[in-house]
Order: sequence, then structure tokens, then C-alpha cells
Amino acid sequence: MEPTPNGELDAHFSAAYEELRRLAGSVAAGERAVTLSPTALVGEAYLKLARAGVPTPDSPLHFRRIAARAMRQVLVEAARRRRAAKRGSAAAPITLDEAHAVATGRDLEVLALDEALTELAALDPRQARLVEYRFFGGLEITEIAALLGVSESTLHRDWRAARAWLAVRLG
Amino acid sequence: MHLDPDRWQRAQALFHAALELAPGDRTDFLAVACGADGELRAQVEALLAGDARSAEGGTPTGALLPDGLLAGGLPGAARALLGAAAALPERVGPYRLTRLLGRGGMGEVHLGERDDTGGVAAIKFLRDAPLSPTRRERFALEQRTLASLDHPSIARLYDADVLPDGTPYFVMEYVDGLPLTEYLAFWNSSLTERLRVFRAVCEAVQAAHRQAVIHRDLKPSNILVRADGTLKLLDFGIAKQLDDPAEVPDAGPGGAGDRTRTLLPLMTPAYAAPEQLRGEPTGIYTDVYALGVLLYEILTGRQPLDLQGLTPGEVETAVSHQAPPRPSQMRAGAGGGRLLSASRGAWAELDVLCLTAMHKDPQRRYSTVQGLIRDLDNFLGGEPLDARPDTLGYRAAKFVRRNARGVAAAVVVVLAGAATVAFYTARLSAARTAALAEAERSGRIQGFMMELFQGGDPAAGPADTLRVLTLIERGVQEAAALEAEPAVQAELLATLGGLLQRMGSLERADSLLARALTLRRSLAGGGGREGGPGAAADVAKSLVALATLRVDQARLEEAEALARQGMATASGLPRDHPAALEARTTLGRVLQEVGRYDEAVPVLEEAVRGYAARAEPGPEYPAALTELANTHFYAGRYDASDSLNRVALAAYRERYGARHPTVGDGLINLGAVQFQRGRYREAEARYREGLAILLAHYGADHPETASARTMLARALNYQERPQEALEHLSLALGTQLRLLGPVHRDVASTRNELGLVALAAGDLELAESSFREMADIYDRIYDAPHWFMGIARSNLGAVYLEAERWPEAEARFREAAELFAATLAPEDLNTGVARIKLGRALLRQERWREAAAESRAGYDIVSPLTEPSVSWLQSARADLAEAHRALGDEAEARRWEAEAERVRAEAERG
Repeated sequence: MEPTPNGELDAHFSAAYEELRRLAGSVAAGERAVTLSPTALVGEAYLKLARAGVPTPDSPLHFRRIAARAMRQVLVEAARRRRAAKRGSAAAPITLDEAHAVATGRDLEVLALDEALTELAALDPRQARLVEYRFFGGLEITEIAALLGVSESTLHRDWRAARAWLAVRLG
Repeated sequence: MHLDPDRWQRAQALFHAALELAPGDRTDFLAVACGADGELRAQVEALLAGDARSAEGGTPTGALLPDGLLAGGLPGAARALLGAAAALPERVGPYRLTRLLGRGGMGEVHLGERDDTGGVAAIKFLRDAPLSPTRRERFALEQRTLASLDHPSIARLYDADVLPDGTPYFVMEYVDGLPLTEYLAFWNSSLTERLRVFRAVCEAVQAAHRQAVIHRDLKPSNILVRADGTLKLLDFGIAKQLDDPAEVPDAGPGGAGDRTRTLLPLMTPAYAAPEQLRGEPTGIYTDVYALGVLLYEILTGRQPLDLQGLTPGEVETAVSHQAPPRPSQMRAGAGGGRLLSASRGAWAELDVLCLTAMHKDPQRRYSTVQGLIRDLDNFLGGEPLDARPDTLGYRAAKFVRRNARGVAAAVVVVLAGAATVAFYTARLSAARTAALAEAERSGRIQGFMMELFQGGDPAAGPADTLRVLTLIERGVQEAAALEAEPAVQAELLATLGGLLQRMGSLERADSLLARALTLRRSLAGGGGREGGPGAAADVAKSLVALATLRVDQARLEEAEALARQGMATASGLPRDHPAALEARTTLGRVLQEVGRYDEAVPVLEEAVRGYAARAEPGPEYPAALTELANTHFYAGRYDASDSLNRVALAAYRERYGARHPTVGDGLINLGAVQFQRGRYREAEARYREGLAILLAHYGADHPETASARTMLARALNYQERPQEALEHLSLALGTQLRLLGPVHRDVASTRNELGLVALAAGDLELAESSFREMADIYDRIYDAPHWFMGIARSNLGAVYLEAERWPEAEARFREAAELFAATLAPEDLNTGVARIKLGRALLRQERWREAAAESRAGYDIVSPLTEPSVSWLQSARADLAEAHRALGDEAEARRWEAEAERVRAEAERG
């Protein structure tokens, strides 16, 4: 992934951050993890921001693209930090609650996926974006087609190839 | 797997080609296709194996990462986020972190204790720092700000650094104290003690201002008072440097102004100044406002406005417009503690002092904190205040001169509100006509309005609705002082009432318009005729203005009575007198509103003829034409409507030129006709032309533009272009929520479209919530049943049909049918359609007999009104067949099936 987000993304992300975090908190607390899809969550965040008068991207769709990127960053940074903490000071607190254990198990996956996506971006940037939007943003192929300005059939082909490549890459 | 982009392209091509083949044939194919390139072949084979692996696991995501957090989507992300937040070290430098002191928008503050010296400090960490340069910058700015401030009442910065994982933090003075208001309540302080503590707060803020730092987040929890009475100002997290070049006021869109705006969610609304909530430039005056609110709370024990449970949009409206009760009125309940005792005169002074500090208009506040301190000293020393209450002695002309731009903008709103959009969108042209005519007829007011309007820069046009509302409220105050000139007072009240109505403040408009009517009646004398024709015309005008207001309030019977009274009052005037014509137009509109189109048409035609006969028809002429066009539109006579709209459009073009907003509205009306004829592409083209004009005139962030977008979105949705529709709808909704608040007809209309798009796209959750909110808005804004309430319920019913929630669908369609029957007519098309759908809901519950009865009743209503092949009738026929078959009447069932088939075949041929 790019080391830092670009200016526009960062401005939106800063505005969205608190809201996303709050939503994430309520999901993690089990309030509605069962019923709420990422799509619904992010849509809700968008409407809240629009209502609050925060400058938002032109459409919920663009916002979700940004949210997908933000989610990826959040996950990767969190995973990196935890791994750094584990390697570092012995005094780092170790919590053994289930959520943490699960999350730790996933850190490697997140980092591996992130790395793989960065590689894929070098091979075919559009495929990398496609995967990012689908995995991290929960966007549908039709929505991505609208965002990227390519046909759905092209994206279906891209998706199948990228998926196969990732399966090989992540073994 | 070693690949470069070119090889990846080749590998993919082979991969897709191989996928087309049966698995058994792939090996041979690859052997031929790859030739000697064994590496390529191995790569494609690996891809095919990867594809098979990820396909067999069901969802691609799940198969790829079997236990992946991605399978969990956001919940996984959430756990990652929260896990990260917990991972602070136990120790930072010489400090041991002992407990969390607080958590805010920018970070977490922990208490740190030194083992060596036993000292304590507050340590603030920036959460998730690596994610956002903007947040890092803001954190660093807070640190620099604190470092630059050296004052006994501002917490000091000790140290700053970065944790090994990149988390920045700084160490500052820890203050063991109570938040300001709790301190005062705890010590049950006297008035003088309270004011002295408040003065110390002002001094601390003033010290920051001297260093060119604006705090912008002053509130009790950021002001801690120690047991000894000394206090410290905390949390400069959203402070700004006055001379920060990136923060200069008047920054255009996308410039620095936007940056300030992103701070919104971080602020505490109760203490935020109106300009802050609106995202406008902030300054010293912003802190002065917050100090005013603090003083209010110190004096009364409560906040000036109750913002509990309001949405951000409602908060913004309340803070911008709602006048708080004077502190002297609120002190009875002061904090549950003892009553603050002071003389009546002293309380009057405190009212002035406090309300000047928190004036909604930054220009009217104390210009510096020093000024506020000076008046505090004046008060404590028994000297007269520098501040004066708002003087009410201005005359109307003065009011307008002072607020030149605002009134010009208001006039633009009124003049340009022109014609109407169709269908669910509220139609305001008659209100506009009334307000306009008022402006034209009001001696002095008319003079300066027209002067301003013509002299003003039309390109500067767009009105800031909120500012206009503030100006109107001020105008109302000024009008109150015009007791000696009742005629001018009535004019001003009538004009302001018309503006308020136009802006949706119906109750407020009601009281002003009613007062204007009372005044004018008493001026005109007993029968309304004694004061001469001018006075009678004024009374007629006021009656008509109230009639249009009643239309907006859906009190249609009263509206009709008032319009008829207006006509009777104007009966002594010449037939083409503006007041008489206006009364006629309004009556026509009322009749149209209640669906009595055949009665409305001759009334409106007479008004149109009257205007046309005048030497100078005036802008009311095309407005009346538009009204007539709308009547035909609603009656389904689209040809008549279309040609009248074209005449009106030509008249507007002639009068105002091609780019005037009335022309934009006219184009939108033409589009609405095309839409009703099912010519969605043509409708879209007209809507876009109209929207372009409105955008150029009002800008993107304006209710008129927003409602045009809603219309355009409908045309797009009908062309199955939901994404484009959605983009326009979200823009419209954002604007409307911000400018009009959540409870407004335009918002209801947009939510309706949003629901329809969602329904078409199968997002039932969004569709349901959209229609529910729409129904809620209509229930709240209409005093009496209105057919829009039926539309909302009927659409909600459609969602439930789709979701197979039959009993709920049944209930909604039943309500809709009853509402349509009561507000339109039992035999109206809408009633019929609702009953057909009700039949469907009953059918699915296998209540055959009831289903057959409703479907049949609906069928009988709809079939004389439409083509036989419309989908409603076809579904009614299918439902009737199904119901009769279940009831054992096979012959009847066959009859309906045959009928459906016949109609279908005919439609195909024809």
C-alpha cells in the first residue's frame, strides 16, 4: 500500500475517523454484528457525516471507496503495531481474552494480504483496487464497475484471475 | 511466482482460455499454448489450482482466507482497532501510567506518576497516529500551542516525544480540580463569587488571545478549578493560531475554510458558536460566545438551549436562530442550589451582559474578551455597562438599509422561487406570488427592496437561508417598535411573514401574518371598506397571504374560506386590481390542492385573463399560468399543461432573460410533464437544463438546486440508472438536511426517491428506513390528513410486499387507501392502486375472499382511468384469478386469466 494516503483521502479520512471508530466499537461490542453488513455500516457513517455538514466525497460510493482504503490502513497498522509490541519490550501487556487472541492470529493474514495486494498493484493496479474495494469495503462488482468506469464482465474476469493469483500467493 | 505485468497479462489470457475448457482438456491445451515456456505453464497451472481452491470454499473471501478477519468484515476490523487502543506501554519516560483520565476526539489522556519524585503529570497520546497526517499535524499544533502559552491559569507543557511504535504524546501539568460548573455547584457559590471565578476564566482566555491563540472548545470540563479556587484552562486540541495563514477567513470552497469545517465532530455543540456550527470563519468572537454560554450556565445552572436529542442539523438551526430565555427568567431553577440574589436592575444588567457575549451575530458581541472583562468589572463596581440592549427604535427603512445584502438575498429567494415542481414536491408559487406582491405594494419597503434588488449584483445572488432567517427575526423585533406607524408595521410583518413561510417556518409565519391582518383590519375600519380601496386591498392581501399559509399547513378548508373572504373583500375593487387577481389565483390553487380541478380551472383562467389584460402584466401573470398548468397536470391533461408551461416559460424568458431561475423552474415543469408521459430521457434533458440554470444562480448548496436534483434523480431511476440517481439524491439530501433541517417536505420528497431507488435495487432495509422517515416527516408537518401521508404508507407497503411481510404490508396499504379516499377521493387513481395492492397483501395471507373484494374494488376504480394494460390492472387480474380459484370458482378464475391474456396480446400488437 502507499506509505501515506493522498491529501484528499486524508482529509476525508480524518473527518470520517471518529465516526468509523464509533461504529466499529459498537460492532465489536456485539451490538449488531449479526445484522449489519459493512456496506450498511459505511453507508450509515456517510449519512451521519453528510448530516453533520462535514465535507464528504461526492457520493456514498466514493465515500465507501475511501472507507475501504481507510479500513485497510487501520487493519494493517494495528497488526504491525501489535507485532512490534510483541517483539519489543517484555513489559508489553499481554491480554489473553478471546478477541485479542483471534485478532492476533489474523495479524499475519492481514499483513500477508496487504503485502500481496501491493505486489498485485505492481502487476495490475486495477485488479489490486478491485480486491481492496471488495475485501475491505464490501463493494459489489456493479458498484466497482461504476467507480472504475469498466464493464462488469471485465471486472468478473479480473476478479477471478486476481483471486486465483492471491490464492497461490498466500498459499 | 515470478511475474511482471506483461507475463501476468499472458498468464491471465491462458488462464481464462483454459477455464473455458473441460478440466480434462486443459493439460493438452497448455502444453500446446505454452510451448517451451515451462515456467509460464507452471504458473497457469498454479492459477487454475488456486482458482479451484478458492471456488470450492463458497464465498471467494472465505475460501481465500478460511479463518480470515475479512470473513468477519468490519467486526474483525473493529476488534483490530480496539485491540490496538489498549496497547499502551505501562511506562512512558520516568512516568508510570496509572489510570485513564479522559478520552476525546484527538486522543487519550492518562495520569502518569513518577516513582523517583512522586510527581504527577497528565500524558496525552494520539491514537492511531500513523493513519493520518492531518491528525498528526493537529496534535503537534496543540503541543506547540501549549508550549507557547505561559500563564498561571493555563496548564503547562513539560515534555513531548514519540513511543517506539510511533505514537506521539506529550506530558503536561496535571490539575486536580473540579470542572467549573461542578465546582460552583459544590461550593454553592454566591453571585459575586461566581462572577469572580468567571472573570478568572476570561483572563486565562484573554491571555491565550494575546498569544494569538483561539481556544474554540471552551466548556466546563475544560476548565478545572482547584479547591483553593485557582483554575486551569485545558485542552487546546482544536485551538487555532489567529495568524495561521492556512486559516484565513473567507477561504473559498476547498480552501482553508473546509479545514476548519472538518473539526465539526470534535466540538461540543452546546458551547459552539453559530458560525462554528456553520463552518464559517472563527475568531476571537467565537471564544467570546462560548464565554457567554458559560456565564449563562454559571448564572442559571442550565444551558441556554436544550439541545438534547437533536440531530446536528437541528442543533445548527437552534443555535443559529432560537433565542434563549433571558438569564433572569431562568434563575429560579439555578442548579438546585440557593437562589442567586440580586436586584431586578442587577438582573437586567446581567441579561444584557450575558446575551451580548453570546449574541448570534458575531459583530454584535463584545469585540474582545477584554471588553467582556471590563463590563464584568463595571457590573461588580456598580457602574453602568458599556453594552446596550438591542435598540428597538429603528424604523423599517433603517432596518433594510443596515441589512442591505440580506434583504436583497431574501428578495431573490422570494422572486426566484417561481414556479413549482410537480408531484410530491411542495409547490410554493402562490406563496411566492403573495410575498412578491406584498413587496411590490409596500410603499417604503417596496422602494428599498426593489432598489436593492436592481442595484445588487445578481451574480452574488445565492441567499444564505440561515442568515436570512436571522435577519427576519431581527426585522420582527424592529417591527414591534413601529407602534406609531401601524401601516408600515403591518407591511413589514406581512413581508416578513411571507418570507418565513417561504422558508418553512410556518408557525412563526402564522403569527406574523395574523398580526398583519388584524392591524390592517383595524386600519380599514369596521367593514373593511371604510379606509378606502387601498385599505381594503391590504386586508384582501392579508387574507390571501393567510390562505396560502393554510395551504402549506394542509388546512385546506380554512384556506378556501380565507381565499373566498379575500375575493369578497376585493369585490369593491376593479376586476383587474392586483389584489382581486391574486385572490382569484389563490382560490384556484386551493381548489387544485383539494383535487377540485374542474372548479379550479375557470377560476385560474379568469385570473390569467385578468393579468393578460393589464398594460403591464407583471410577474404574477406567468405565475398564474404556471398554476393553471399545474392544475391540468394534476388532472392528467398533460397536453394542456405542456402548452401553458411553454407560454409561462416564454413570459419568464422575456421578462428575466434565459438564465433566470424562474426559467429554470419552467424547464423543470416541462420535464415533469415529459416524465408523466413516460418520456424519461426527455424529462432528464429538461431537468438538466433547469438544474444548470439553478446551479448557476443559487450555487450547489441551495434548497432549490437540491429539489431539482431530486426530480432529476427520479428520471434517472426510471431509466434504471440507480447509481447516478443515488449521487444526485445524496447531494440533495445533504444540502436539505443542512439548510432545512430534518423535518421538511423537501427532505421527505428526497427520502421518497431514495427509497424508490433502494427498492428498485433491492436494498429493502434502506428503502424501509427512507419511507418510514418520509412518513414521519409528513405526519409531523401536516395538521390534517394529507395525501402525501398516503404515498409514504403505500411505498412502505410496497417494501413489505417485497420483503414478504404480508401483515405489515396489509396495514400500510389499508392506511394508504383510507388516506387517499379521505383527502383525494374514494374513486381516485391512488385509492384504487392502494386497494389493488392491499388485495395482493391479503392474497398472500390466503384470505381469499377479502383479497378478491379489495382487488376487485381497486380494479373498478383504476380501469376507467388508465390503459387496460397498465401493470396495476394486470396484477389485479392475476390476483383475482388466483383468489377465485382458491375459492373454488374456476370459471371466474379462467375469465380473469383470459382477460389478462387478451390485454397482454393486444398491448403487444399495438
